[in-house]
Amino acid sequence: MRTESALAQTLAMVLAGGVGERLYPLTKAKAKPAVPFGGIYRIIDFTLSNCLHSGVRRIFVLTQHKSLPLDRHLWQGWSFLFRTELGEFLVTVPPQQRLVREWYRGTADAVFQNIDLLSHERPRFVLILAGDHVYRMDYRTLLQFHLAKNAAVTIACTTVPVHDASRFGVMEVDADDRIVGFEEKPPHPKPLPDNPNVALISMGIYLFNTETLVRAVIQDAKRRDSHHDFGKNVIPALVAQGERVFAFNIRKWLPPSFHYWQDIGTLDSYYEAHMELLHPDPPFALHDEFGAIRTYLPPLPPALLRSHAAVRQSFLSPGCVVEDGAVVENCLLSPGVRIGKEAVVRHCILLPRVFVGRGAHLERVIADEEVNLPDGEQIGIDLERDLRRFTVTEKGVVIVPTGFVF
Amino acid sequence: MAKARILVVEDDDKQRQLYCEELTAAGYATLEARSAQEAEELLSHEQIDLIVLDINMPGISGLELLPRIHEIHPGMPVIIHTAYGSYRDDFISWLADMFIVKSPDAGGLLEAVEELLNRKRGVTLGQ
Repeated sequence: MRTESALAQTLAMVLAGGVGERLYPLTKAKAKPAVPFGGIYRIIDFTLSNCLHSGVRRIFVLTQHKSLPLDRHLWQGWSFLFRTELGEFLVTVPPQQRLVREWYRGTADAVFQNIDLLSHERPRFVLILAGDHVYRMDYRTLLQFHLAKNAAVTIACTTVPVHDASRFGVMEVDADDRIVGFEEKPPHPKPLPDNPNVALISMGIYLFNTETLVRAVIQDAKRRDSHHDFGKNVIPALVAQGERVFAFNIRKWLPPSFHYWQDIGTLDSYYEAHMELLHPDPPFALHDEFGAIRTYLPPLPPALLRSHAAVRQSFLSPGCVVEDGAVVENCLLSPGVRIGKEAVVRHCILLPRVFVGRGAHLERVIADEEVNLPDGEQIGIDLERDLRRFTVTEKGVVIVPTGFVF
Repeated sequence: MAKARILVVEDDDKQRQLYCEELTAAGYATLEARSAQEAEELLSHEQIDLIVLDINMPGISGLELLPRIHEIHPGMPVIIHTAYGSYRDDFISWLADMFIVKSPDAGGLLEAVEELLNRKRGVTLGQ
C-alpha cells in the first residue's frame, strides 16, 4: 500500500483530557495542552503542527477537564485550517458518556468511549497522540514503517539512559524491531541488547490498525482490574497475545533534527524545556525545514524595547514592552508582557500579559498569565520567603499563579 | 449443575418464543424481554448467565442496550442475533462476544450459546 493512500485513511485521536496535576498551578484553570509554551505557543500546537505537516487531516481532540481555554485556542488557531469540503476536520470531543456514564478512566477508556466516532469515519489506521508532548515527527515515516513491518500496532519510541527509564514504559525488541516485552515504569529497566547504557522507552504515540485498536480497547474495557491505560494495560496485553507490535525508534529511523522529545510532565521539565530553547545551540529548533509550529496569536503590535533596555538571549513576543533601564536575560516573554523601568528579570518564563513593576527583581520564576507583580517585588532571591507564598519546585523554580494578590 | 439462565431480548413475539422453546429443549432456563427497558429491569434483579440480543427494537435498540449491559455486568456473555449483518459495521456491536445473522430456524444459536457458556466456565475454572 502506498503511503499517500494509507495517509488518507489515517485518523488522529489526540488525548487532551488529563488533569495535569503535576503541572499545577499552571493547570489551575486550563488543561495541560492549553498551557502556554515557548513564548507564543500552547503545548498542543506541537502535536497538531506535526499532524498538519504530515498530512494527517482528520483529527479528533478528546478533551475533558477544564477544556474551555483549549477549545477556544483550537477554534481561534486551528479548526479553520481543515476543510470540511475535502473531508478534513479538527473537532474537539468532550466525554459523550454514550457508552459509559463516567468520565474517561484512562487513555484507553477515552478511545473506547469514542469507538462510535471510528465506526462513522471508518479509518484504516488510527494515530493515538498526546496533546502534551513537545517534539517534531513526520508521521508519514511512522506509517511507512508500520506498513513495511505489516504491523498491527507501531509504538514510537526513543532511548534514554537506563537510570532515567523507570518513569516510562520500557520495551524489549527483537532484531526486527518487534516488541517482545513491555513493562510500564519498571524498577529495573532492561537496556538495549547492543547498548547496555540505554533503554528503549515508549513515547506514548501509537499507530494502530483500526480493527486491532477497537478489539483491544473493548477487551480492556471489560476488565475490572484494568487501569484502562494504553501503556499499563493495552500494549502489554497485545504483546502477550502475540500481536504484531513494533517499536519505531526515532533515533534509528529519523534524522537528528527529529530526535527531540519532551513529555511536559512536571513544572521542572516545563522549565528545563524552555531553558533548552534559549540555549545557543538548542536541541529543539522552532524553525526548520519540516515547517513552522503553528499557533494562534492575537493581533498585537511588535515588541518594543525602550532606549536603555538591555535584553539578552531571550524570546520576545509581540506586544511586549521593556521599559528604560530594565534588564532581561535568558527569558521567554509571552505576548503582551510588560517589564517596568529598572526591573531585572533573569532565567524567567513570563506567560501572556504578565506585568512586572518598576524595580522588581525576578530570578528563575514562572509567572502565569496576567500576574501583576508590584513595584520593587523580589521573587526567586529568598527562597525561604517564596516557599511561604508560592509553589517552589525541587529545582528551585518559583511559580506565581494567576490571580495571586500581593 | 443448575441450568444456565439465558435472557432472550427480542421484540418479535413469534421469534422470541421460538428461541425460548429451542433453548428450553436444549436444557436451558430462559427469561424473556420484549424490549431493552424490560431487559434492563430483569438485569437489575435476576441472575443471568448469557444474553441473546436483538438489535432492531422499538425504543432503545440492542446497540444502545449493549453498553448498559457491559456497565452493569462487565464480562456478561452476549450474542447479538439480528437480521441485519450490516450492524457489524458499528463498532459498538463488537462489545458482544458473538454476532449471528438470523436464519428462519434459529440455526447456529444453540451452538453459539453452548460455546460461549463453555468459554465462561473455562474462565471461571481458570481463576
